Amino acid sequence: MAPPVLVTDHWYDFRDLGNLSSRLLESLADVLPQGAVYVLAAVIGFVASFVIFVLPSQLFVGVYGERKLIARVQSRYGPNRVGPFGLLQPIADTIKLMQKEALTPKSADRALMYAAPALFVAPCVLLFAVIPFGPNMVFADTSVSLLFYVAISALPVISAFIAGWSHNNKYSVFGSVRMVAMAISYEVPLVLGLLGIVLFTGTLSLQGITIWQKELDIWLVVLQPIALAIFFIGVSAELNRTPTDIAEAESEIVAGYLTEYSGMKWGLFYGMDIGYALAASAFAATVFLGGWTLFGLERWVPPWIIFIGKTHLFYALFIWTRGTLPRLRIDQLMGFAWKFMLPLALVNLVMVATERMFWVEQAADDSVVYVFALVNIVAAGALVYAWSRILGYRPEDYPTKARLVETAGGYVPIESAKGGAQ
Amino acid sequence: MSGIVRSEPFTLNIGPQHPSTHGVFRVKVTVDGEKIVDAEMVMGYLHRAMEKLAEERTYTQNIPFTDRADYLSSMSNNLGYVLAVEKLAGIQVPPRGNAIRVIMAELQRIANHCMAAGTFINDTGAWQTPVMWTFREREKIIDLFEMTSGARLTCNYMRIGGVAFDLPREFEPRARQLLEGLPGFFDEFEGLLVQNEIFLARTRGVGVVPPETAINASLSGPMLRASGVAWDIRKADPYCGYENYDFQIPLGYQGDSFDRFLVRIEEMRQSARIIGQALDGLPGGPHSTQVPLALRPPAGDAYARVEGPKGELGYYIVSDEGPSPYRFHIRAPSFINLSVLKEMVVGGTVADAVVSLGSIDIVIGEVDR
Amino acid sequence: MEGVGAAVAFWTLAGVTLFAAAGIMFSRNLLHAVLLLILTFIGIAGFFVLLSAEFLAMAQVIIYVGAIAVLVLFAVLLTPRAGRDNGESKMLLPAVLLAVCLGAVVLFVITDTSWNTVPSAPAVEHEPKVAASDLGEALLSTWILPFELASVLLTAALVGAILLVRSPEEEAEDMPS
Repeated sequence: MAPPVLVTDHWYDFRDLGNLSSRLLESLADVLPQGAVYVLAAVIGFVASFVIFVLPSQLFVGVYGERKLIARVQSRYGPNRVGPFGLLQPIADTIKLMQKEALTPKSADRALMYAAPALFVAPCVLLFAVIPFGPNMVFADTSVSLLFYVAISALPVISAFIAGWSHNNKYSVFGSVRMVAMAISYEVPLVLGLLGIVLFTGTLSLQGITIWQKELDIWLVVLQPIALAIFFIGVSAELNRTPTDIAEAESEIVAGYLTEYSGMKWGLFYGMDIGYALAASAFAATVFLGGWTLFGLERWVPPWIIFIGKTHLFYALFIWTRGTLPRLRIDQLMGFAWKFMLPLALVNLVMVATERMFWVEQAADDSVVYVFALVNIVAAGALVYAWSRILGYRPEDYPTKARLVETAGGYVPIESAKGGAQ
Repeated sequence: MSGIVRSEPFTLNIGPQHPSTHGVFRVKVTVDGEKIVDAEMVMGYLHRAMEKLAEERTYTQNIPFTDRADYLSSMSNNLGYVLAVEKLAGIQVPPRGNAIRVIMAELQRIANHCMAAGTFINDTGAWQTPVMWTFREREKIIDLFEMTSGARLTCNYMRIGGVAFDLPREFEPRARQLLEGLPGFFDEFEGLLVQNEIFLARTRGVGVVPPETAINASLSGPMLRASGVAWDIRKADPYCGYENYDFQIPLGYQGDSFDRFLVRIEEMRQSARIIGQALDGLPGGPHSTQVPLALRPPAGDAYARVEGPKGELGYYIVSDEGPSPYRFHIRAPSFINLSVLKEMVVGGTVADAVVSLGSIDIVIGEVDR
Repeated sequence: MEGVGAAVAFWTLAGVTLFAAAGIMFSRNLLHAVLLLILTFIGIAGFFVLLSAEFLAMAQVIIYVGAIAVLVLFAVLLTPRAGRDNGESKMLLPAVLLAVCLGAVVLFVITDTSWNTVPSAPAVEHEPKVAASDLGEALLSTWILPFELASVLLTAALVGAILLVRSPEEEAEDMPS
């Protein structure tokens, strides 16, 4: 299925770790009883994708890198005491969280409260099963991986709701309800944006999308910038990251659905927050940024290093918006999803469908996709600007400076003293 | 048809332990769904019986007390108090003392507005980034305070008849250096926020105070000026030689939280102008007049007011020829400004309430004394 | 699907789904019942994967777990506390009798039908899968009428939901005055 990118069959070639794992499984399939090799394959997949990639990324990029980057945005240093350059800070945090007393309120639902963090971690691990790290390095190369991602990312919403409910605390329930409402609102434009991608590539499989981008030598981000913008905002809302993190910060004053969690249970929620963001970044890197390909460089540089680099690049985008933007109110967020993003996604879909129809029916040459990219980029800018103006965004109507008067003398109505700029 | 679904209002406590109430302050809001239908303020968590305790101490001993009322702008507090005592005792201040007082008061205004603007944006949810930026400038100003008076926050610098110490040699170059950097910083800070769509959506139209309500409720300071009423005690009732300086009063447009933010940024600019003029024309001579240690002003009362960073800060002192005041009352601007909180908050959501409260710029030390 | 893995997966999924379904019936707490319902849905999605209908499995998770279960959770949230007990009812005996009769009918039908079985799995290396494109083509050519009717029904439901939650002020605004 995958074209021969790496002409190697040696098990020690670390550029393609799939070789290593398949050799291992083949050699062990004769030794182990029948069926146990499936379990071993699952374990290898889990270790390779989650333990080796996600866990260190969570700790060092998610916790440490995020704090350092946000600190630099705020013109201060980040953690720099624990270990050289503060690199052992995540370890210190983990140890602190593990030895903390985990308080459980007496009237809370114990079973649900203990189950919710576990239910929050499980979908994150599942998500990494379908992400292709390289040409042979995907654990479950199903033909519907994209839909798998959308389906599994609906599951943490349920477990966060359970978490909020089980506290028996009306503020937590408020936070959960808000979070669920926001998540299901933002799923709609998200899926519509991804539909445009699927129209072009013709396949729902993530490995297939990567190979499509490799064959046409174009990244889907230049081909459909609106889809990337919608995906970024939609996934920020699903992950409860600023500017859309009403569910866990300031929500009815306390920490929303995380109010009564302390110790490692909270640590699991916090860590998986980062884990889901990493999964979304990995997904975006695969679909929009070309995955493990880099215009031919993947023959020498290990493709999984390219992929991990792109994932962290996208994750840095999340960190950047978190440090810069203030937070929106819940009704403004809902209005934004339904009134702004949904029509934009629909128009994008129509545009993409027209282009695809033109491409297939006229049997045009493959290089017409570059024309489409140019048209789409221009149309993206024009559409976003036009639609926001239609919805009432008029920056020239807002004053940017206070008006100035010379003497003190009572109320000055707005028309008479025109001071300052505009 | 919608009578089938019945929703009940329930009471929510914002505070007293809460990251956004700027101190220990409690607002009991009654919420119906997401909308607030009623708000009741509960103050007094930081009451320290300041006014009563001041009756036991001499006039000079009360100056550190005033530091701690509004602990974020101690120079203005000191200034108001010593002006009241000087009015009562008929003491003249030398011109150099007045000029130094003006410089310190305006520096304190910039420092206070840095903090107020920063924490206000913090309340809208921008994870401390603006606060860190404004605190960079505030640190430079507080370094100047420490150089002159010995303390960063509660400066205890003004004395009856002048100021405590003269300006040190390094003060003027450092102050001029600061003044050079300030306009650039204000422009950068404004440019980041004033056209930020999210910030505008959170603050425009939130916590509107119409001008009639503002005047009727005796609001003062940036809250009054943001509603469009041009009233500044430095212009209307000048003290310390403010009539010799050239500056303008910034006004807002419709009295919402965004206007208060704009007014504070512009006031910082005007303060920088005043400091520049004061440094240029700094007269020589003594920095304070000699005043007896146990001052016994003649019997009577006096009310002196200054334009503090939060509003009209007034001190009412009644003397009965003893070494301590007979009555010592602080007209706290935060306390009076808080009285319109209910009108500002009812009809909006809880998030809006937090933003409105942040835009009033209260300090609980002043509210509760 | 054939093989040891598939058999193990089938029996595990069957056990989990049946346990969850039994839990829905016997659990006292309504919220626990809803969560076990979600587990049942996920089990059914697993069965779809076993039958090589992967698109249907994902659609099952997205629609049932992601949307319908959330709807049921919201409905449970809006009921008053007293009504959340999944407790005793007076209809226990008639309900059990009805369930036994239904079970007998279903069992009889299962044993009496002649299923199209083959003695062993056919030797194909690539089973025919129901791809998403096949589903799309079928929906838009053979089954176009039910598809359009379903979308009309959903639009009607959407309009009805918005009408139901309007506050009296908004209704008064739109009344022809």
